[in-house]
Order: sequence, then C-alpha cells, then structure tokens
Amino acid sequence: MEFTLLWAALAGAGGLYGALWWMGRRDTTVCVRDLWEIAITAGAVGLAVGRVVAMLRGGVNPFTHLGDLLLVRAGVDTVAATVAALLVAAWLARRDLFDQLDALAPAAVVGLAGWHAGCLFRDACLGTPSSLPWAWAQPGSDITRHPVELYAALGLLLGGWLLFRFRLRYPAAGVVAGLSLASAGLMRLATEPLRPSLLAGPVWWYAAAIAIGLGTAVVATRRGSARVGDDPTPLQ
Amino acid sequence: MRRIIVALVLAFVAAACGGSGDVGTVGVLPATTPDELQQLISQTEQPLVLNVWASWCIPCRSEAPLLKVAHDSFGSTVQFIGLNVRDNQTDARAFLNEFGLDGFEHLFDPSGAAQSSLGSGGVPLTFFYEPGGVLAERHFGVIDDRTLALNIDEIIRRAEN
Repeated sequence: MEFTLLWAALAGAGGLYGALWWMGRRDTTVCVRDLWEIAITAGAVGLAVGRVVAMLRGGVNPFTHLGDLLLVRAGVDTVAATVAALLVAAWLARRDLFDQLDALAPAAVVGLAGWHAGCLFRDACLGTPSSLPWAWAQPGSDITRHPVELYAALGLLLGGWLLFRFRLRYPAAGVVAGLSLASAGLMRLATEPLRPSLLAGPVWWYAAAIAIGLGTAVVATRRGSARVGDDPTPLQ
Repeated sequence: MRRIIVALVLAFVAAACGGSGDVGTVGVLPATTPDELQQLISQTEQPLVLNVWASWCIPCRSEAPLLKVAHDSFGSTVQFIGLNVRDNQTDARAFLNEFGLDGFEHLFDPSGAAQSSLGSGGVPLTFFYEPGGVLAERHFGVIDDRTLALNIDEIIRRAEN
C-alpha cells in the first residue's frame, strides 16, 4: 500500500470538505452533507474505473490480477477516472442536476488543489529544471526545479475561490459547473509542460475539458437569458 | 439484456483463463553475484536505472509497462538493468516476454544475495545511478510515470554537468 499517496488523497478530501463547510456557512442553500456524499462517491468510482483502465492499457488483466486494483500508485487513467466521476456525480445529482453541480463544483476545484498540494507528502512536487528564485532541488542534488504541483494547487485554489464568489451572484444554472470544469482543465494544461513525463499527459483531453466547460457555460447563460426573456407579463 | 450479461460473463471467464507462461524468444537470464553486480554498477559509463523485480511480485507487473516505455525513450542515453530476485528462470522469462521487457539486460539472483548487497530488501525497487555508480535516488515500491521520468531526467542532467 502506498501510504504517501493516501495522504495526498486525504489532502484532497480535506480540501473538498473544508471548501464545502466554508460554502455552507456563507450560503444556506448549500446542503453540505448531500454534496459531500455525491463528491466522495463520484471520486471513489472514478478512482476505481481509472485504475482498471490504467491496468488494461498497461496489459495487466484486472480479472486475473485483482490485487493490482489496490495498487493505485501504479497508475490511474486520468481521463477515464474524470469521465466516470463526472457521470456518477451527474447521476447522483440528477433530481436537481445543475444547481447541485454548481454548488459542488467550486469545492471540487479546491479539493483538486488539495490533491496537488499533497505532493508535499509524496515528495513529488518537482518538475522541469528552473533557475527561478523559488525553484528547489531534490535532496542531494543541485539541479533546481519548478514546484509544478504547487503551481497547480495555488491556481486551482484561486480558481475555486473566484468560482464560489461568482456563484453568490446567482448566474444561470450550469454556468459555475461549466466554468469549474474549464478552470480545472486549464490549470492542468497550463502546468503540463512543466511536468516530466514518459507518457505525455492527456493534453488533448485537458483542451477538450476547457472547450466542453466553456461551451456548457455559454449554453447555460443563453438558456438562462432566454428563460428570463420568456417570462410572462407580470401581474397587473 | 440477458445476452449482454452472458457475453460479459464469457468475456470475464476468457480473460481469467488468459494467463501466459510463454517464454517466447527470451533467453536464459545470466546469474550474478554481489561482487559482479557491484562491479557492473561502479563501472557504468552511462546513467543507470536498476530495477529489482520478480515475476511473483504483483506491483512489479504494474510498473513493467512503464519501464518498457522508459527504455524505449531513453535506452540510448541511459543504461537499464533488471535484477530478477528470488524467482525461477521459466517464470522470469515468461514475465519478460509478456511485457516485452527483453530489450535490456536482466540478471538472475535466485537467492537475493546480490540484492542484499544493494542495502535494500523487498520488491519492486528502483535505483538511479550517475555514471561511475554514484547513487542518486532509491525508490521503494511501485514507481509511477512522473517519478520515473523525473529521476531519469535527474541522472541525465547530473551526467551532463
């Protein structure tokens, strides 16, 4: 079992819960417990699906090597995990889809920030070499590097806070969820060139997340505007 | 719906029966001793990645595809060596054949004595050395894409400096 990864996951869950709790204190329409259950269930299913897909892509049969499913450190397919988590969240929130996702999304972005900040537990924050003043080196090395995961964490934290502030202005349903997806994709895409990788991260999927997120926000805004325009004549 | 369920069950059964014991064209792994391994490490002229593995080790299966990608990408500038420990030749060769890992040298250490000389037990383990055998990093357990890429980049840059 990879316990350092577990600490990173706890940092993510802590960030998510902290953000939900904070939102719940400022917005009484938010039901923290419901949103927490949706997020944790979606996250767990996403993790499992992502792990199975990573095994299949690596040529490991998940049925003959069931024990490998627990080896999360060995790889989780980000795209499959994200799609599965989003679908599960949408299913669980189906009764009030966009309102629930709008309430959950900024907290999910903060939770993602916590996951990235969890690199501090895993000693896995560093990326490509850099001579910037805040760059640091691995123990025993004089090659300083970008703390790329902390860049992502700070960007996502700021994004989550801005999205929460924006949500308090009552935008059309679905706008905050769309912008949250776009901001998460943007932050991953922006930091990807600074991450050393053998497999070249799923940059096209990050770009697709930005496009889908922005598209959702635009459609939601237009739909919201149309609804306002279609309102019947006020009672005399 | 019933047909889909039957098809899924058959697929599961077929997958479960799909175990591989084929050694293919993978040759017999040369045995090594602690002294020979230490000599090999200290005499390396390239950055070196030494992966300690066994065919019975479940985590080793998970990281095997990554090691193949790493070797395919950096095999010309970094030397890769596998150290197979506490295993038997047939299973080890079948493992290499299954994951296509026979592109680089693997040594056979059935007693685990050579591994003990590295100062660490357990599998999987990955060591990163600068040329001349200076240890740069030792990673315990399954290694992931980012960590492997970062440490390979580290030993290449140290070799260049």
